[in-house]
Amino acid sequence: MHREQLELLKRIQALEFTATEFNLYLDTHPGDQRAFIDFSNTVRELEQQKELYTRNYGPLIVDDTARQPCWNWIDDPWPWEIEY
Amino acid sequence: MNDMNPIMLRLAQAYVPFQTYVNRWDPMKALMMGTIFPELYRPYDGRDRRRD
Repeated sequence: MHREQLELLKRIQALEFTATEFNLYLDTHPGDQRAFIDFSNTVRELEQQKELYTRNYGPLIVDDTARQPCWNWIDDPWPWEIEY
Repeated sequence: MNDMNPIMLRLAQAYVPFQTYVNRWDPMKALMMGTIFPELYRPYDGRDRRRD
């Protein structure tokens, strides 16, 4: 996997983690509007980065494959073959 | 007994201070630290921390 692709994948994983952290916090602090805004901005950036990734490198989840030119869901590398 | 309970919390009840969102680490740093909240970062070091 090329460096650029790997960096984008790591960025997506980091944003996903941040979104999950806000998710857990907001479940117990639903009235915290500032946290909600930061959660929303995180998710918006996450969606953009995922869109960028799938357009350039292939599907992240199987549903993404519907917008790919062919069935590349089984293409290399498999998740456990990625060297971070 | 009170030296073990200096602020007179009621016995046999669990207390969790309510977290307030102040700031957070950027996503990549947070992923490495295991939390986005700096105030929650407290790696286990195996020592008795009661006197900290």
